[in-house]
Amino acid sequence: MLLDIIISTLINGSVYALLAIGFSLIFGVARIVNIAHTAFYMIAAYCIYFITNSLNLHPLLGMLTAIVLVTLIGLISYKFFIDPIREHEAAVLIATIALAMILQEVMLLIFTGDFLSVPSLIKGYMEFFGVRIAFQQLLTIGVALVILAAVWVLLRKTRLGLAIRSTANDREVANLMGMNVAQVAMMTMGVSVALAAFTGAVVVPLTILNPHMWMHPLIMMMAVVVLGGLGSIKGSFVGAYILGMAESLVVFLIPMGSFLKGSVALSIMILVLLIRPEGLFGVAFEEER
Amino acid sequence: MLLEVSNLTINYDKAMIINDLSMHVDSGELVSLVGPNGAGKSTLLRAITGLVAWEREITRRSVGEDITIEGTVKFEGERIDQIPAHKIVARGLIHCPERRRPFREMSTYDNLLAGGYLLKNKKEMEENLEKVYQLFPILKERSKQISGTLSGGEQQMLAIGRALMFKPKLLCIDEPSTGLAPMIRQEVFDSIVDIRKLGITVLLVEQEVSTVFKMSTRNYVLSSGKIIAEGTGKELLQDEIIRKTYLGL
Ligand SMILES: Nc1ncnc2c1ncn2[C@@H]1O[C@H](COP(=O)(O)OP(=O)(O)O)[C@@H](O)[C@H]1O
Ligand SMILES: [Mg+2]
Repeated sequence: MLLDIIISTLINGSVYALLAIGFSLIFGVARIVNIAHTAFYMIAAYCIYFITNSLNLHPLLGMLTAIVLVTLIGLISYKFFIDPIREHEAAVLIATIALAMILQEVMLLIFTGDFLSVPSLIKGYMEFFGVRIAFQQLLTIGVALVILAAVWVLLRKTRLGLAIRSTANDREVANLMGMNVAQVAMMTMGVSVALAAFTGAVVVPLTILNPHMWMHPLIMMMAVVVLGGLGSIKGSFVGAYILGMAESLVVFLIPMGSFLKGSVALSIMILVLLIRPEGLFGVAFEEER
Repeated sequence: MLLEVSNLTINYDKAMIINDLSMHVDSGELVSLVGPNGAGKSTLLRAITGLVAWEREITRRSVGEDITIEGTVKFEGERIDQIPAHKIVARGLIHCPERRRPFREMSTYDNLLAGGYLLKNKKEMEENLEKVYQLFPILKERSKQISGTLSGGEQQMLAIGRALMFKPKLLCIDEPSTGLAPMIRQEVFDSIVDIRKLGITVLLVEQEVSTVFKMSTRNYVLSSGKIIAEGTGKELLQDEIIRKTYLGL
């Protein structure tokens, strides 16, 4: 049981961390609240399903294609859907909700509302004190951690990372350093959606596909971001594992707990908003961005 | 002429913030821009370095104010009033903004790297970093510290250091001494003298008139968006009306 909880915490936590960091990045840089973020995660999952089940290609190929394709879709929807109204925060919010609904309906049309699944990349399991741990679970955790590390490197060690962090700190001053902030926002959107697609790819063998599968991660991701502090990458990371654990505890320890997991996240979110509105690692926003 | 502003007029909604203003800066000068609060000094700098135009783009896309800009700005003989802020920087016209504005969540070192964002190679970055550390040794000591936690004086030095990373031809500095203790102010002014020795032309906005007039080659007095007087410090101080009305001396 304990081991189950740990594994499930690590999987959920990593998924939420990947989603929340991607969501935080584009929020930080362009103040875009992208409700469609987890919808990109969903279409990546469907894309992999299509390539492996309908085209009978190797899942790995499916994952790579999905990441490239979804990132492209993300960039195109940014260019034509979000960018023109980028400075109008309420309009952006509504547009991304609409985008999420559109993606959901399109998936519903193509794949129907059936529950679908994708086979594991690696079969088999190991037994550890009588608990079965699938290799796929370990693979998912491992790859997720590698991607998280890669994001850290991107942000800390690359020129794009410097531009992303500078723009998130103070967009106007970033201009004065010669950074093209519109272009930085576009690139950040690419990174953000790619992260959502990566998340879909690492988790798809462990989940059930359904056109509504973006809803629960969206709620959890928002709760993570509130818990960790809006715009804080470190906060998103820590918050994700805290909520991932809370969710696992509820699911494993409370009878019928899996029906409650969403409300637990929301309760934690509301509690944090009441006690510490800026979140665990949040930075109170300054007047200038 | 390094910088030439001609007949610049800027309106925010209906309010005229800069009113048919012309001024220039020659290579090697330290020109100061003084005048009461709200005169339009910062707006003038922001217009020169493309920020007003950038703000206009943004407000056009939202429900903000309506900003209009007329007139021309030339840098090294070429018009820059039509090119975006981030490309003006590439020409060597750098703006160290009002209220210092470090990237608060980033380390001192990363702030300086951001200042050198446009540098092509690592070697140049290292060299310029070394020069900035020579000018402000405290920044080297604080290199790992998150810039938001630096003292006001250190933040100002960081802001100037960051602006120096791309080796400006013209450096516009907006109120570097405001809000600092007298000793630190002097340090900041001394560093501006040192910056000039590096061959950098400076356009300085300041409230501290008496100190600035001793350093500058020429000065403009700005009030209600208009230049109402121009001259050396000595000339301006001789004019009773200017001294009393606009400089508060
Ligand atoms: N974004 C803005 N919107 C409207 N008015 C502004 C804006 N920025 C500055 N102003 C106005 O322009 C005038 C000049 O401001 P500023 O250039 O900051 O003056 P200074 O730097 O000389 O103190 C002030 O009256 C100020 O209220
Ligand atoms: Mg000012």
